Amino acid sequence: MLKEIDYMAFIEIKNLLKRYKKVVAVNHIDLEVKEGEMLTLLGPSGCGKTTTLRCIAGLETPEDGDIVIDGKPMLSEGFIHSSQRGIGMVFQNYAVWPHMRVFNNVAYGLKIKKVSKKNIQERVLKVLELVGLEGLGERYPSQLSGGQQQRVALARALVGNPKVLLLDEPLSNLDAKLREKMRFEIKSLVKRMGITSVYVTHDQAEAMVISDRIAVMDSGDIVQIGTAHEIYKNPANKFVADFIGTMNFIPGEIVQAPGDTPSVSDVVCVRTEFSEKVLCTTDGVTEATPGKEVYVSIRPEDVEVFAEPPQDRENLFKGVIAHKAYLGNFLYFFVDVNGTRIQAQVPHHLPQDEGQEVHLFLDPQKCMILF
Amino acid sequence: MSRGNVILAALLWLIIAFLILYPLSILLQESFNISGTDSWGISNYLEFFKDTYYLRIFGNTLLLSTFVLLTTTVFGVPLAYILARYRHRGKTIFTALILLPIVLPAFAGVFAFIIFFGKYGTMNLLLMDVLKWTKEPINFIYGMHGLVFVQSLHMLPFIVLGLSAGFTNIDPSFEEAAEVEGANGFWRFITITLPLCTPSYLAGAVLVFLWPFTDWLTPMILGQTDLLPSVAYINIAYHFTDMHRKYMGIVAVVVSAVFCISLFLLARWWVERKKYTGLSKGTTAEGRVIEPGPLLKTGAYVYLIFIAIIVLLIPIVLGLSAFSRRWVFEPFPTYWTLENFRLILLESPILIKNSFLFSGLALVFGVAFGLPAAYLIARTRVPGKDALDFVITLMLAFPGIAVGVGYMLAFWDTIPLARYWIIMPLALFARRLPYFLRMAHASYLQLDVSLEEAAEVAGAGRLRTFMTISLPLLLKGVLVGVMMFFIMAFQEISTAIFLYRGGWETLPIGIYLNWHRGMEFGIAAAMAFLMIVITFILLLIASRIGGNMLKAAWSTDE
Repeated sequence: MLKEIDYMAFIEIKNLLKRYKKVVAVNHIDLEVKEGEMLTLLGPSGCGKTTTLRCIAGLETPEDGDIVIDGKPMLSEGFIHSSQRGIGMVFQNYAVWPHMRVFNNVAYGLKIKKVSKKNIQERVLKVLELVGLEGLGERYPSQLSGGQQQRVALARALVGNPKVLLLDEPLSNLDAKLREKMRFEIKSLVKRMGITSVYVTHDQAEAMVISDRIAVMDSGDIVQIGTAHEIYKNPANKFVADFIGTMNFIPGEIVQAPGDTPSVSDVVCVRTEFSEKVLCTTDGVTEATPGKEVYVSIRPEDVEVFAEPPQDRENLFKGVIAHKAYLGNFLYFFVDVNGTRIQAQVPHHLPQDEGQEVHLFLDPQKCMILF
Repeated sequence: MSRGNVILAALLWLIIAFLILYPLSILLQESFNISGTDSWGISNYLEFFKDTYYLRIFGNTLLLSTFVLLTTTVFGVPLAYILARYRHRGKTIFTALILLPIVLPAFAGVFAFIIFFGKYGTMNLLLMDVLKWTKEPINFIYGMHGLVFVQSLHMLPFIVLGLSAGFTNIDPSFEEAAEVEGANGFWRFITITLPLCTPSYLAGAVLVFLWPFTDWLTPMILGQTDLLPSVAYINIAYHFTDMHRKYMGIVAVVVSAVFCISLFLLARWWVERKKYTGLSKGTTAEGRVIEPGPLLKTGAYVYLIFIAIIVLLIPIVLGLSAFSRRWVFEPFPTYWTLENFRLILLESPILIKNSFLFSGLALVFGVAFGLPAAYLIARTRVPGKDALDFVITLMLAFPGIAVGVGYMLAFWDTIPLARYWIIMPLALFARRLPYFLRMAHASYLQLDVSLEEAAEVAGAGRLRTFMTISLPLLLKGVLVGVMMFFIMAFQEISTAIFLYRGGWETLPIGIYLNWHRGMEFGIAAAMAFLMIVITFILLLIASRIGGNMLKAAWSTDE
């Protein structure tokens, strides 16, 4: 909590609204990116993440709100053109101009800014080296691999010493192996240069690896902002929990509100299809009142599976194994509990097979209530 | 590679050999004949390249080509940009109007402009008698400038189609990246947009450049005969008794054919090398359509309307002329009549019948040949299929006069096919073949192979798969191809003029003859008007069926 005071907001998005005809792409969002921070906009396609990025880049004209970069408003005091915003941008499909050599691709913006020839030469060669393309300046893009074209795009975005780096799903066109490698490379490069950056992706693993903080978006709204850990451990709602990682959602109804039994505060009781009483932690959720329809949510790795029922535990349910899979470092189960299917990930061996009975322990401290 | 495919390929090659390669080889062989002797050698060619007259007409033609290309480019670039990028009303109408000249017979335009811009045409009469701005008529049309104007208007669609497809299809992020880098408006257009569109521009530009090497009729009507195709036509058609002049005409035909094909191949090779596809694998957003400012928008509208009016002059002027008689020395006709149409429809309906019969038969041949050919080229690895594609595509660049003369020479004595009317549809088929094939081919490429494979896995044979799966899915493209082929065959004259005999006249030939005899201008105009109406209806149907397909197949070479 103290962290927030340490930083100044470097990019400030205030009440941003962008509509396409009648469809609201970005719905009055507020967002702050701190200096030197790498923030990821994460969400499914059509959630408004790319539109938000393009608004920051100046490629879209929002209907309302303002974007402040390094203390300078981009919209409220007249529209600042994209090239005047001090940004570098990496496009999803690289947008490396096919009719220019690598060197000229990278040098394009510097030439427009009338930087001296000698200076251009120096800077381009330096940045090409930085991204690992030394010696390839005279190639045409068609003579490069996808990963190399990606680096050209990165070099082009960095050569102008931008204050802000914007990356629009830069890795989505690469194959899986290369993508994983590039995540770390981009992160370490950007961190080394200390550039404030906004990264757009729909890949949660990519977001968790690369970013300091993640803003999860859904239908034009920012649903939750936080570190990867915060979002994984305390998802704000069912959407976030579902989008990041895997989650069991057990529909039910609250039958006992918090405070009813003072001895176990912030625990509620939920009636589900398979049990009258599933205990959950409310974690201070105030809407958890009796009669409310909720989802009891628990991550598969938090579900404990036993061959024999342990003594003195609540939230212990009997079920039948529907599927069992061996995945090397853990076992994965789909267990039917009176018609409700619950996924469990168990780190140790268990002799039970498909069709056999097991006991599931849903730790009340790890059962969340989500809407 | 199955035996069936090989047999099919062999069959198609046989047809190509008989209807294209054989007549053209006879043409080539004939050009080496030395008149008055039985021997042959290269003396005709030596004479051609030594004679300053022939060299001058070659130079003239090159000059004309350059002017036409320059004019179409200067007018076409903004036109394509407006059509592709600006959001404006009536886009479909403007697009259709600007593309109209491509399907109109070239000579229809000339007639209309002579009536309107001629020495005592509407424009001059208005200027002299009504407005009293000049005393002497202004020469708008007769001469090199008029020729450049008429040919440019005719070929403008090739530039506009290619470029506007380019402007629409290039990935928006190429331009956005330049915008972020600080390249504004014009500079971005020059350094990024235009270079990325060069392949699609060039594909159209080469056809524009070659048109003056093909079109003998427009120059003759405008009194500019010192051009390669016109000289060839005059030498061959008017001097059939002077064998030497005939051979020199054939040499002129061969020289321009070789020139056309070389240039065409050069352009194709270059386009192939510069193709920028396959670089951006990402999702392509729809093309960038922008809302221009009020000033730009007004300017764009004025420009569009200006071009549209010039195009519309053709049907309007021909219409006025068709529905009137004795329209002389008056800016607009005063005596209205249906007499011209009565003469055509009642007294010589044979022309209309011939036009439909020949074009229709050519179409049947075209489909019967084109569908299997498209299948072979798009779907199999039969040896020689690329060569097949190559030869057929070359026909796009081949001057019609070369086909006509080749047929005339090849099918008279040894194989006396030209003595029967079937030669007309056969020649039309050979000349217009690429127009159907590239449509069929283009739609084949859009059809996912796995759809066909699924049918074969389910147990359907190759033919059954084609009839029940491929053909229904290809139907749209095939129908548009059918329309385009028919339109192009319908307006053909360069080849047909060498082959027709009494009773085989088609509408275009009828128009030419009526003009040539110099007396029945009204009838010629009425015929041309009739052709425009028919063509326009067909075009409307075609664009209804698949305007996008039409654009796709026409805009890019391949």
